[in-house]
Amino acid sequence: MIELAPRHKFGLPIATPVMPAAGTFGYGDTYHDLVDLRLLGALVTNPVSLNPREAAHGTRIAVRGEHFIAHTGLPNPGLSQVIRRHRQTWERLPIPVIVHLIATTPAETAQAAGQLAGLPNVLGIELGLIDNITPQRALSLLDAARAEGDLPVIVRVPFGNVDTLAPQLADGGADALTFTAPPRAVLPIADAPEENATSCQYLRGRLYGPALLPLLLNTLARWRSKLPIPIIACGGIATPQDAIACLELGATAIQVDALLWRDPPLLQRIAGELAKFDASTELDETPTDVVV
Amino acid sequence: MVKQQDAIFRQAYPTPPYWTVSFNIPHPPAPGTFMLADLGGPLREVLFPAALTVDGFTAMVPPRHPATQLLPGATVNMLGPLGQGFRLDGTTRLLLVAEAALLPPLLPLLEAASAVALVVEAPTRAQLPSPDRFPPTTELLLVTRDGSSGYLGPLESQDPAPANLQRVLPHLLELIAWAERVCFACVNERYPALAAIVRAARLHPAPDFAQALVQTAMPCGVGACEICRIPTRFGEKHACTDGPVFDILTL
Repeated sequence: MIELAPRHKFGLPIATPVMPAAGTFGYGDTYHDLVDLRLLGALVTNPVSLNPREAAHGTRIAVRGEHFIAHTGLPNPGLSQVIRRHRQTWERLPIPVIVHLIATTPAETAQAAGQLAGLPNVLGIELGLIDNITPQRALSLLDAARAEGDLPVIVRVPFGNVDTLAPQLADGGADALTFTAPPRAVLPIADAPEENATSCQYLRGRLYGPALLPLLLNTLARWRSKLPIPIIACGGIATPQDAIACLELGATAIQVDALLWRDPPLLQRIAGELAKFDASTELDETPTDVVV
Repeated sequence: MVKQQDAIFRQAYPTPPYWTVSFNIPHPPAPGTFMLADLGGPLREVLFPAALTVDGFTAMVPPRHPATQLLPGATVNMLGPLGQGFRLDGTTRLLLVAEAALLPPLLPLLEAASAVALVVEAPTRAQLPSPDRFPPTTELLLVTRDGSSGYLGPLESQDPAPANLQRVLPHLLELIAWAERVCFACVNERYPALAAIVRAARLHPAPDFAQALVQTAMPCGVGACEICRIPTRFGEKHACTDGPVFDILTL
């Protein structure tokens, strides 16, 4: 077993180091026809807020080459509804559930963490932070999640804030960190109306695509061995080799992001390849050199 | 159950303003349902059937769509059939209403009833499909927004028409009163106004009397990504799993 929360009293053991990223896999069994959940380490749910959120208006996706931007507005029916609709599914799943909480205010985060405590098979919380959050604010949200619940708390670090947030969150009691949330970016909307062709429309949202992988590997290479808690790698992982590279550079587990929409069985292929890859012997003793 | 299937690409040829692409596949999509095809981009492409064949389906796509670049015999991985399609249940009088650019997903319904009427609206005459494309038994009403051909649009407009032109709305109301089912394929923003027209023509339309196809981005097809959520009278729904065909009165 792989321990995602070694400092937590209950821990968060997972069988394999492969998970879907928040916002890519739904709340439970949406992909059960295409992905054998037993091969995954955990299910990370779509982002959930304490109160309901509506979908973003207008265009929500823009594609350019191998990359795309998605802007959903993080719609969800609110935590109570999510629990009511999916509690039984979560209980039946063969893998632990990590609920991704949209951390807004400390009070709401505490209330949400309290609601999640004690739910069957919900074994962890992943906190989602806004991009330009200050370390003080992030720590107050982390404290709120830890104070009201008894679940391990993973924090998904915003793409541009790793240097400022990661050490403080690790010292502040986070059980693990997810590196990173997808970066914000802007792309022209391809199907802009012809009459507006001269004034192109743009979409701002989260960027997905294979170019995120080298950025992720760079972050991992810089932070490996410097943090006392596990790191979960997320961003641009599209092959088993990508996942192995992340583990070699210090990640404890990996999350596959929106690239799995194109190829849902990718998750189990990665899990299968990693099962052949003896991470414990190759990683613990002789960390891979990064030549710059 | 969501299937993953390998389709064989057969051919692509221009049928202006679209390209027609055809695939052989063991389980083709029913009208209004869709396939998600892996055509090499970062996201799968939505393909609605424009016609069903003995061993597959054809779709109509924009001219630069990646499906037009495939070589005959190429294998294309597809997810589907996905979604909830049109529900006709033995309809004998069927009315189809579409914007020309969004018409293809309605084409499989042209022979789904013994009497079919088709209302097609385009911005101008050049964007209307040729009438010889449709079965001779189809009653065809062409509508242009500039009055260059057929009736004067838009479909919802009640404004007085200029001399020598006729608004389409009175005829649309008549056809809705005649039909047992109505299927719409327009941009989503028009559906509330078109629902109001249905209510004006029918006092208490039965559930699914008028159905609307929502055409939007559906990257995952299984309700996981939240990108295709649309507002309805019953809260937000996933176009990919709850639709993409909805009772228009709920939109």
